Amino acid sequence: MTTLESYAKIAEAAPRGLIGGAPVVRGEDEIKRKYRREPGFPVPILIAPATMWLIVFLFLPLISIFIFSFWKTTGHGMTPAFSLEHYRAFFVTEGFFDPKNGDFLTPSVFIRTLWTTFRFTFTVMAICLLLAYPLAYFLSMQVEDFKWQLALFLLAMVPFWTSYLIRAVAWLPMLGRHGLINEFLLDIGAIDEPVSFFLYSEFSYTMALVQLYVVLAVGPIFFSLAKIDRTLLEAARDMAATPFQIFREIIFPLSLPGIAIGMIFVFVMVMGEFATAVVVYGGKTSTTGTVILNYYVIANYPFAAVNAIMLMLAMMIGVVIILRLVDIRKEL
Amino acid sequence: MAYDSPGQVLQGKLSRRSFMKTTAAGVATGAMASGSFLRQAAADDGLRSIGLGVSEINEIQAKATKDLGFPVAGQAMGYGEMFSKMLNQNDQYEIAEGYFNDMRVMAPAKVWQPIDTKKIKEWDKVTNLTKTGKLTPESSEGQGDAPFKLMWCDANGTIVKGPSQYIIMVPGWHNADSLGYNPKATGRAIESWSELLNKDFKGKVALLNVPQIGVMDAALAIEALGLKKFVDKGNMTKAEIDFLIDYLIPLKKAGHFRAFWENFGQSVNLMVNGEVALESMWSPAVAAIQAEGVPCVYAFPKEGMRGWHGGMAISAKVKGKQLDQAYEYINWWLDGWPAAFVARQGYYHSIPDNAKKYLEPAEWDYWYDGKPAAKDLADPFGTIIIKKGETRSGGSYWNRYSKINVWNSIMQENDYLVKRWTEFLTA
Repeated sequence: MTTLESYAKIAEAAPRGLIGGAPVVRGEDEIKRKYRREPGFPVPILIAPATMWLIVFLFLPLISIFIFSFWKTTGHGMTPAFSLEHYRAFFVTEGFFDPKNGDFLTPSVFIRTLWTTFRFTFTVMAICLLLAYPLAYFLSMQVEDFKWQLALFLLAMVPFWTSYLIRAVAWLPMLGRHGLINEFLLDIGAIDEPVSFFLYSEFSYTMALVQLYVVLAVGPIFFSLAKIDRTLLEAARDMAATPFQIFREIIFPLSLPGIAIGMIFVFVMVMGEFATAVVVYGGKTSTTGTVILNYYVIANYPFAAVNAIMLMLAMMIGVVIILRLVDIRKEL
Repeated sequence: MAYDSPGQVLQGKLSRRSFMKTTAAGVATGAMASGSFLRQAAADDGLRSIGLGVSEINEIQAKATKDLGFPVAGQAMGYGEMFSKMLNQNDQYEIAEGYFNDMRVMAPAKVWQPIDTKKIKEWDKVTNLTKTGKLTPESSEGQGDAPFKLMWCDANGTIVKGPSQYIIMVPGWHNADSLGYNPKATGRAIESWSELLNKDFKGKVALLNVPQIGVMDAALAIEALGLKKFVDKGNMTKAEIDFLIDYLIPLKKAGHFRAFWENFGQSVNLMVNGEVALESMWSPAVAAIQAEGVPCVYAFPKEGMRGWHGGMAISAKVKGKQLDQAYEYINWWLDGWPAAFVARQGYYHSIPDNAKKYLEPAEWDYWYDGKPAAKDLADPFGTIIIKKGETRSGGSYWNRYSKINVWNSIMQENDYLVKRWTEFLTA
């Protein structure tokens, strides 16, 4: 019997579960194999392409953004310098330190923009979680057949096969003053004249962001739920645990890594957003992404760099907080 | 100014669905265009030209290639992308089809070389609009970065007060922007910028979300309302910017603005979908909106319009044979075929007589002379956009351009402006 066949046999015998499942009984051969180096390319060669890629296209640009943030702007470019003026401009507004001034201790517009960005992101994350969790739960726990699981999971992905822009723009004929929802409400007589609140509002913005990014939460939660060993649930039932207890004591804690990863995905994506606000919010808000773009366009690269760094810091802090709440390594 | 308008939109071949895809299409065509653009490579024969969809149109560069006998490749870009490429990668193009309002950034950066007017064949025929600022003796110069203030330079490319032998950019296509409105939705004709801030239209107004330009439209409205007189709307002081933004913020909070648009397709969409009654607009949008069966009129405000002017500059890196070709291309442009091509979208030429050579009399009469169209008129791609009997708002070219109120500009307080604009949008 080949190794593959023996694995298949074990998998068949094991209780259902998409990933992992019951502990695999390893033969002596396989244990030895684990410690034997596979023949082929040495490790440095295998990791070289990815490392080079990251160095050239991630680390070097990041370092240069950091360096540029201290340079001086010339109005049409920048010159090397060590200046903190752009950091100052980011944090401090005129009259910030002057108790007599109306702007005393008022956070600068850039900090407020970052805060607005964060506030939206948090709302979107919360809604994504509320939508994604039941969906993932249904897919992994309620759908018995693996084929159906996969099919339904792919179905949930279908909207994401079209481009990002189409998905965002598609809200316009839906939510507009003469959009489908308004026409429907008018037809059934629920309203007398079109409601403008659906589009170019915080409502449409939040909704579009949720729709754009919810799948990023569904995936990881689904996988972490599917990974849960069903024998645990069986055992809990045998010991007369109520469904709610099972959820609270077993399922939810075990799905935390998926939640954390999903939330990190959504968080990072939405924090960097700038295009959706233009399409569905009618540009009626600024995100830090917009600010970076606006200063980039007027060739004030150092200040754009400062904003980029602040955004990155905010993202890192957010990710660290999420990882503090859930110890992914331990849970996995 | 059609800052971000993909050629597809300008071709007036829009359906409701393609409006939705405008931005996406722009990205796609941009990507496709850059493919062939790169293949052109930097061989020392032929030209690569970059600019906006206003002048970078396949038909124009194809015709240039045919007429001139060397390859000319054009690339239409979004405004921000074009601006950065012109500024930071002048080895990636030979011709910059740029705009005078960017000159305060481009000229000091020395990315373009001085152009010798002696090598511009019909330099004498170029109108005084860009030479002295006065198209006709009675014209007002207009506030802001009027082209004549930024065109002349010395042999080193430093801006000087003209006239001089050298210029940084050869003036080409230009137009004036104002407000577009749906007469059914407004219920009356719009004749002043003040209507933009009129509470009658609360929730049915859109502004252009390019801080440098949006702020000028708002300033024109505030002046028209008699609230404040700006010394120079194209170069406001911090106090003036503060006054303006502080006036706009409560309006925004009260829901006065339906949206802030960023590209041509969006502005069209807003009116076609009935979201706005009135908005700051670029003139080709009118035809695109009418093509959707929605009435739209381009206002000619009594305060005058906001002007902009495009032209051709040569990268500082170009020399030898390619430099000669660059001059040939510019001379070809001035000769009028491309100018007539873009005239059918409403853009004017720095040598009107040369555009006239390539226009039918009915086209000339409508687009330049301000007379009623003697017959149905088509855009450059053959779609009828002007019905017989229609008249261009604002009348003749000379009438429109004698009353430019302010030119698109980059202010000295640009950083501060962007900061306050951000505050306005975040409010």
